[in-house]
Amino acid sequence: MGIFEKNWTPEQADEWTVHDLVACVLSVVSYVLVAVGIAAALLLLVWGFVALAIGIICGVLMYRVIDPKLRAMSKAFAKRQQQYLEQVDKAVRWEK
Amino acid sequence: MSEHILSVIKFSGLDWFWAVALIVVMVACGIIFYRLGKRSESEFFLAGRGLPWWLPATSIFATHTATDTPMWITGVIYKYGMRGIWFPFYCAWCAVSAFVSTKIFRRSLAMSQAEWQNLRYSGLGAELLRGWLAGWQTFMNMFVLAWVSAAMGKVCTYLFGWPHWLGLVSFTGMCAFYVLAAGYWGVIMSDFQQGVIAFLGITIICGWNIHEAGGPTAIVAKLAASGQSWRLNPFYFDKDFPLAQFLTLFVMATVGGIGMGNFIDWYPEAQRIQSAKTIRDASYSIWAGALMTLLRNGLWVAAILAFFVMFPNIADQKEYEMGWFRLGFEYLPMGMIGIFFAVILAIHLSTIATHLNLGALYATRDLYHHYINPQASESRLVQVARFNTFLMLIGCFVLGLSMRRITEWLIFALWLQAAGIWIPSILQVIWWRFNSWAYLSAWVANLIMSWLVVLVLPGLGVLPKLPDYQQFWLLALMVGVVYLPVTFLTKPDDMEHLVRYYVMARPLGFWGPVRREAIKRGLIKAA
Repeated sequence: MGIFEKNWTPEQADEWTVHDLVACVLSVVSYVLVAVGIAAALLLLVWGFVALAIGIICGVLMYRVIDPKLRAMSKAFAKRQQQYLEQVDKAVRWEK
Repeated sequence: MSEHILSVIKFSGLDWFWAVALIVVMVACGIIFYRLGKRSESEFFLAGRGLPWWLPATSIFATHTATDTPMWITGVIYKYGMRGIWFPFYCAWCAVSAFVSTKIFRRSLAMSQAEWQNLRYSGLGAELLRGWLAGWQTFMNMFVLAWVSAAMGKVCTYLFGWPHWLGLVSFTGMCAFYVLAAGYWGVIMSDFQQGVIAFLGITIICGWNIHEAGGPTAIVAKLAASGQSWRLNPFYFDKDFPLAQFLTLFVMATVGGIGMGNFIDWYPEAQRIQSAKTIRDASYSIWAGALMTLLRNGLWVAAILAFFVMFPNIADQKEYEMGWFRLGFEYLPMGMIGIFFAVILAIHLSTIATHLNLGALYATRDLYHHYINPQASESRLVQVARFNTFLMLIGCFVLGLSMRRITEWLIFALWLQAAGIWIPSILQVIWWRFNSWAYLSAWVANLIMSWLVVLVLPGLGVLPKLPDYQQFWLLALMVGVVYLPVTFLTKPDDMEHLVRYYVMARPLGFWGPVRREAIKRGLIKAA
């Protein structure tokens, strides 16, 4: 399964895969670079613009990696949500 | 600085127009969404679980931009320079949470973190945990309300010379109108407008601040000329801000995103996660909300460095913490001061609205509905929700007006929550064997050991006064000595209960025996 896999079955999307790890890493890198990049760019420091650009690219890559998986998982879960909500109501009652 | 500055700067008619217009629009939210809010408990607290990602995202940003936030961030940037950005970086837990704990929590469908305890754990331990978290969160939300309202009281004293109680009561009271009327619908819709207003306002004002300091190039040049170029380096480490402190803040923020309940911010975020339409919407709402918060921090960093260049020799922390307010009220032109005040009102109202509704959620769903009246009708639950919102407001006023002396004790209470249960809050997500007794013991041990490490032992001279980040790791270790033996000396949670939770929430980590049991029962397919 490629890192930019677009076709996920609901069962595949429910499993934890390397895509989740890659999305988390890219997400953290993106946050760090955007946070310091915007501050430095506002002061017209060259490294700020570079950091900001790389941060945005990391964010886009993160989206490309994780979005197809999230879509497949969400679609499958939405179908089962009502049944699950009824289960939750029963499970959390302290009176039977 | 003058005691209150309106003796120097007057509000024009246009300034008052902006402030009044904001209040009118917010109160209108309560009227417009009144009918939606009263339909059920789920509508009053989660807007029916049907929101697109951008609504909870702006709400996250708006909620975490409170009246005291610019004071705190100004304080750390003025003192540490750009590296001070790592103190508020803890919101980056959302970078990881968006794709880990957010997904798991959204799938659990728990209305609150306290209810999640009932889904994750079983038996008496789960009930004790739910009761404890519900009570703690009801109180904590009341405390945050009081704290933020007290900050507004200070701002109004500074601006208008109002008595402290008037600033504290007036705007919080106005906010309660739309929260009482429309519940979470009122919160989320007004948060959206407040979030947009706050972000645009902060951007404009920070731009103006940089301009007033002579522009970006002049700020950099002045810092270099005074030998302060290190203030432009976010990775500059010395004895005041050692590498170990940065690493602690970074690890806390990022790895913490795997857990649930290890940050005070988790609780409002949990409500937003459940109010999102799908798992995908929940993930993006958390991710985008935190990104907006980080962008805001970046804007403030540049503006506060501008303030430092203009006023480099302020030694009194209380004075330099007001730097951003000072730049806004003393340097913005007539007509824009009202926009600045509207921004302050927006960030105040959004935080107040969130915590009024969130405190009422724990009091209604986890205390009243769960323990007192499990058979309550939806209309009864909405009535109780409104009553609890009102109680939160009254509690906020009482606490806020009496808290000047107790603030430091309550900040300590926040710290208690952060340190010792940081690892257990991760373990409860990733390890099936970690049970309710282990999590409870971690809470109790943390309460006791925090007192010992932070106050008692340094007071007796047994332990030196350690920096915060060393206290954090010491507490993590000491509390671990308690909950790890408790985990292995008590029985695991009921397998039936764990399988049900696993199939629904699909947690990551060490869930082998539970997963095998779910596969054996045909509830999930083997990979």
